[in-house]
Amino acid sequence: MSKIILSSVRKQFGSFTAVHGLDLEIEAGEFVALLGPSGCGKTTTLRMLAGLEFPTSGDIHIGERRVNDVPPAKRNIAMVFQSYALYPHMSVEQNIAYPLKKRGVAKPERQKMVAKSAELLQLTELLNRKPKQLSGGQQQRVALGRALVRDPDVFLLDEPLSNLDAKLRSYMRAELVELHRRLGRTLVYVTHDQLEAMTMSNRIAILDGGRLQQFATPDDVYNRPANLFVAGFIGTPSMNLISGERSDKSEFSAKGLNLQLEPKRFEAGSGKVTLGLRPDHILIGKGKQKAMVRVVEPTGHENIIILELEGGQTVTARTEASVRPTVGANVPITFDKQNAHLFAGDDEGRRLNLPETETDGADHLTVVKRPRKARS
Amino acid sequence: MRNLRTLFLNLFTWSLVLAVAFPLFWMVVTSLKPAFELFRRPPTMLPETVTFEHYWRLLTETPFLLYFRNSVILAASTTAVVIAIATVGAYSLVRFSYRGRESLAFLVLFTYLLPSVVLIIPLYLFMVKLGLSNTLFSLVIAYTTFALPYALWLLRSFMASIPEDLESAALVDGASRMGAFVDVILPQLLPGIISTALFTFILSWNEYLYALVLVNSDAARPLTTGVMTMLISAFNIEWSLLMAASVMMSLPLIVVFAFLQSYLTRGFGAGGVKG
Ligand SMILES: Nc1ncnc2c1ncn2[C@@H]1O[C@H](COP(=O)(O)OP(=O)(O)OP(=O)(O)O)[C@@H](O)[C@H]1O
Ligand SMILES: [Mg+2]
Repeated sequence: MSKIILSSVRKQFGSFTAVHGLDLEIEAGEFVALLGPSGCGKTTTLRMLAGLEFPTSGDIHIGERRVNDVPPAKRNIAMVFQSYALYPHMSVEQNIAYPLKKRGVAKPERQKMVAKSAELLQLTELLNRKPKQLSGGQQQRVALGRALVRDPDVFLLDEPLSNLDAKLRSYMRAELVELHRRLGRTLVYVTHDQLEAMTMSNRIAILDGGRLQQFATPDDVYNRPANLFVAGFIGTPSMNLISGERSDKSEFSAKGLNLQLEPKRFEAGSGKVTLGLRPDHILIGKGKQKAMVRVVEPTGHENIIILELEGGQTVTARTEASVRPTVGANVPITFDKQNAHLFAGDDEGRRLNLPETETDGADHLTVVKRPRKARS
Repeated sequence: MRNLRTLFLNLFTWSLVLAVAFPLFWMVVTSLKPAFELFRRPPTMLPETVTFEHYWRLLTETPFLLYFRNSVILAASTTAVVIAIATVGAYSLVRFSYRGRESLAFLVLFTYLLPSVVLIIPLYLFMVKLGLSNTLFSLVIAYTTFALPYALWLLRSFMASIPEDLESAALVDGASRMGAFVDVILPQLLPGIISTALFTFILSWNEYLYALVLVNSDAARPLTTGVMTMLISAFNIEWSLLMAASVMMSLPLIVVFAFLQSYLTRGFGAGGVKG
C-alpha cells in the first residue's frame, strides 16, 4: 500500500514540454485513471512514476520515499506498456515468469504463480507460444499477465485493454476491479476510453496538453466538470456547449436563443460565457423554444437527436426510444435549466456554478453508470 | 509476350550467374589438373586426370599452414575486438542522449574519407614506436581501425530497430541495466551481431594492403600476402599451387557462411511490440 505524490512535476523533451507542473496526490490503495486525449502526457506521466523517465523538475514520492533518483527495479512496481513490450525471444510462460525470476522467486513457486496468472487471463493454452504467434489481444493479455503475476506496491497500466474485443474487455474490466479490491494495491490506469475510467476508478485525473484539468470522482467529473474541457470531454454524446452573453439580470442570450437563468445558482457577473447542457437535459415535446429535427440516430434503447435552433445553432438531445420525431419536423423543446452549467468565456473556461445549489448527485450516479455504447 | 519476358529474364539471370561462377569453377578445375595439362590448347573443360598433388605440396612443402593459422587468429581476434567494441558503442549511440552524439557517429566514419594509403604510413610508424611491428597484434589493431567504423554503423541501425520499451519493461521487471542488456537486448541483436561479425571476418580475411606493409616476416604473415610472396615472383607464377591455395582460402568463408546463413535470413525478431 503506497501513497503516490507528484508535486509540480514537469517533463520537457528538448524545448517541448510534455507535462506542465503536475500536482497529484493518489491515496494508498486507490484506483486512479489518467484520462485524456492522445498526446496529453499520460504515458509520459506513467513512465516518470515507473522511473523510466526523469522529471525535469518537481518531486515524486511513492510511499514515504522520494523516488526521483530510484531506478525502476527498486521501486517495486509492475507495469503494462502501451506497446505490450513482450520479449520476442521468450515464450509466453517465460515472459510472465521473467519479473519473478529477476526477483529471485524459486522455480516451483514461479511455475505456480505463472499458472495462476495465465488462468486469470485465459492464456493457459498459449503458454508455449512465442509473442509473434499471438494475436494483438492475446499479446495484450500476456502483457497484463506479466504485470499481475507479482504483488507490487503499485500497478501502472497503460491502456491495458485497448486491443481486446468488447466481451473480453468487459470481462477484464471486472477482473481488474476485483483484483484491485482483493490486493488493495495502488493502481494507476491510463486510458483514453472514458467508459473504462468512469466505471473502474475511484478517481479520475483528466489531462489535456500536459496540464491537469480535474482530479475527482467519476460522479464529480460528470456532474461537476471543473472547466469547459472536462465538460466537453466527458459524456457521450458530449455536452452541448453554447457560447453567448450573460446580462446583469442573469439572462443568457446566444444566436436564436434566450434563457433566463436562476441567478443564485451561479457566481455573479456578466459578459461572455458558455452554457453547458447535457443531451439528457434537452427535452423534446413541449416548451416555447422551437427547433428543427436534423438527424435521428436510434441506438435501440434510446435516440440521439440532432436539432437546429432558430439561430442556426445545432444541439444534441437524448430521448427515450419512444420519442422519435420525423426528420425535418419542427418540434417544441425545453432546456432543463436546473441542470445547466455555466463556464467563463475566457480560454480556461472555469465553471461558474455555485456549490451549495448543486442538485443532489445521487440520482445522477445512475445516469453515469447506465450502460452506454462506448465511443470507440 | 509474357513467356518471352520470362525467357529473357531467365537468360539474363543465368548469364549473370555464369559470369560470377565461371572463374570459381575455373579455379577449382585448375587446382585439380596435373601441370602438363594446364597450358594445353584447346583447354580442357574438365581435367582428364584429377590430381591432388598441388594441395599436397602446398601443405607439406610450403608455409601455407602457418599462414593459414595466422589468418584464422587474425580474422577471429579482429572480429572479437570489433564486435565487442561496436556492440557497446552502438548501445551508447542509440540509448543514451548526450551532447554531440550525432557528430560522434559521423566522426567515426571520417576515416573512410581518407584513402587507406594515407593512413598506412602513420600507422606503420606508430606500430614501430610501440614495438609492435611485425606482429599479428599490430594487424589486429590496424584492421580494427577500418572494420570498427563500419561495424559500429551496422550495429547502430540494428540496435535502433529494437524497441526501447523492451528494455524499459526489463528494467521495471527488476533487471539492472546490464541485466536488461544481456536478457533482452543481446538476444534481439544476435542476427545483427552475426551478420556484422561475418562481414568483419571476411574483411579481415581478405585484407591485403595493410598486411603487406605492416608485416614482413613469415611468422606473422596472413594468407593473402603469404601466398602472393610465396608463389608469385617476377619470373614465374605457380598457377596450380596458386589455385589450390585460393580454393583452400575460400573454404573457411564458405563453411562459415553456410553455417550462419540461416541466422542471417531468420528475420529480426519482430512481433514483440505493437506497431
Ligand atoms: N521521448 C520523447 N521525445 C520527445 N517528445 C516526446 C517523447 N515522448 C513523448 N513525447 C511527446 O510528449 C507528448 C505526450 O506524449 P505521451 O506519450 O505521454 O502521450 P499519451 O497521453 O500517452 O498519448 P496516447 O494516448 O496517444 O498514448 C506527445 O506530444 C509526445 O509527442
Ligand atoms: Mg500513451
